[in-house]
Amino acid sequence: MIDRREVIRMARLARLELSEMEIDQYQKDLTSFLTSGKKLQQVDVSRVEGTSHAVSVAHELRKDEVGKSLPQEAVLLGGPQVQDGFFRVPRIVEAQE
Amino acid sequence: MKKLTHLLETRQVSSKEIVEHYLGEITRQEPTLNAFITVDGDEALRQAEASDKRRAEHRPLSLWDGIPIAIKDNISTQGLKTTCASRFLANYRPLFDATVVSSLKNAGLPIIGKTNLDEFAMGSSTEYSAYGVTRNPHDQARVSGGSSGGSAAAVAAGEIPWSLGTDTGGSIRQPASFCGVVGLKPTYGWVSRYGVVALAPSLDQVGPLATTVEDAATLFSLLAGPDPKDATSAAARVFEVPTWDGEFIKGLKIGVPEEFFSKGLHPEVEQAVRKGLGALEEQGAILIPISLSTNDYAIDTYLTLVTAEASSSLARYDGVRYGERALALDSNTMFAKSRAEGFGPEVKRRIMLGTYVLSASHYEAYYEQAQRVRTLIKQDVLEAFKQVDVIITPTTPTAAFRIGAKQSPLEMYLSDLFTAMANLSGIPALSVPCGKDSRGLPLGMQVMGNHFSESLLFRLGHFVEKTVGIEGGAVGDKL
Repeated sequence: MIDRREVIRMARLARLELSEMEIDQYQKDLTSFLTSGKKLQQVDVSRVEGTSHAVSVAHELRKDEVGKSLPQEAVLLGGPQVQDGFFRVPRIVEAQE
Repeated sequence: MKKLTHLLETRQVSSKEIVEHYLGEITRQEPTLNAFITVDGDEALRQAEASDKRRAEHRPLSLWDGIPIAIKDNISTQGLKTTCASRFLANYRPLFDATVVSSLKNAGLPIIGKTNLDEFAMGSSTEYSAYGVTRNPHDQARVSGGSSGGSAAAVAAGEIPWSLGTDTGGSIRQPASFCGVVGLKPTYGWVSRYGVVALAPSLDQVGPLATTVEDAATLFSLLAGPDPKDATSAAARVFEVPTWDGEFIKGLKIGVPEEFFSKGLHPEVEQAVRKGLGALEEQGAILIPISLSTNDYAIDTYLTLVTAEASSSLARYDGVRYGERALALDSNTMFAKSRAEGFGPEVKRRIMLGTYVLSASHYEAYYEQAQRVRTLIKQDVLEAFKQVDVIITPTTPTAAFRIGAKQSPLEMYLSDLFTAMANLSGIPALSVPCGKDSRGLPLGMQVMGNHFSESLLFRLGHFVEKTVGIEGGAVGDKL
């Protein structure tokens, strides 16, 4: 069984707030998932490189041309909280005592 | 579709009448089917009227100008809600169209609405949708498959003549098979992914679903091509719908991999596919037993890669620029709470697994190992195509399962047992109906080919339709 603290660490890395019940659940899921990862570890891959994309394409660069971008008002429309042309978020830096 | 385009061309029917017909079907069937998340009838009718005007002036945008379509709800449509079946994006309206959507609009196709899926395309039954399950039109107690379940069910039920889906590990082919329609997962890179909400960018592809192979090929011809906005589409070229003569079948070498006909395969599925293979052999095809032994690792490799890429793709949902935001006093808590409230259980599970395999201490043992096994799988597949022209397998191990039947996540992941290999190796794969089981549930045959061999897959699929005697398994009214 994978360590519970490890599950909590992953949740923090993933920026996910989990309930106690969820932590229990994902502890189980991670553990069972890792058995399938173990199966892969038995495959001999010493003679091959990894594949990140199935079809190897030479990445063609397009011309670097100035194009039209989206208008600021339109982009801000989707924002949950907007102020003075900015996306507003809660405090990022801890307040000083 | 030929009949519809003929009626439109000769002005015996208007696009408005066609759209009204399908909107009527949607109104009648949606209360039980739930294939759509959003229906935009007003806009579709406006598009239809514009199309009728173009036809009256003899300047249609394409042969299919005025024939409506439905789009899976993880493909961006400007101004039209794109929820990905997630609470997180419940009110998200994209500012731009995906390239595939622009292509359809440029061909004059009115967009009737957005279809249901598993949240962020993670699942095989639409049971993970935040907006309820899509029922199978052939048996309402059963799932439509997934993740493109809404797109498949809507076509099968006659709510729409064709639709777009996305396929990362089987998400077009499995629901197509479950609902008795045709679905293609194209060669990786032949269709632009620009504006398609990413699940696993190295595996995702957009593809067509339709009642016949010919319609699927027609729709694919509107989608395929390079797009400067998607660097991975660089190798793409124009696709032309093939001719449908049957001569090519004589001497065609069909690989039949034994690994796909062994454990876990339902006997009725095996029987149907073998019957189809027999029919092809009678017509002159040569069946060659082959081995694709690396398929043993396909699901595990797929799971490792898809969760890793998904955890990274979904990092952008933080409640800052769009989407739902939870109240909190500081930003870090806001991110964690917004994600906790916005995502469903399967999405969280995959983010957790993906974060684990990408974390510094486990990266090499899991993620990098899986990428290397992927190379072996790809080599195995490409080696097979030195011997054979196409590979035929069942699309899924079973017919559509009952809603609620799959209790564990691993059980659900096994739905992709026969389909994930095509995504991992980037090859195209077509699912064609090949009969029904004793309960009347549709079964699918999967035809896989080498990179960019869609034309051959369509011709063979068309041949299967004719020889096995099932043109689509749609249950709904057809115009």
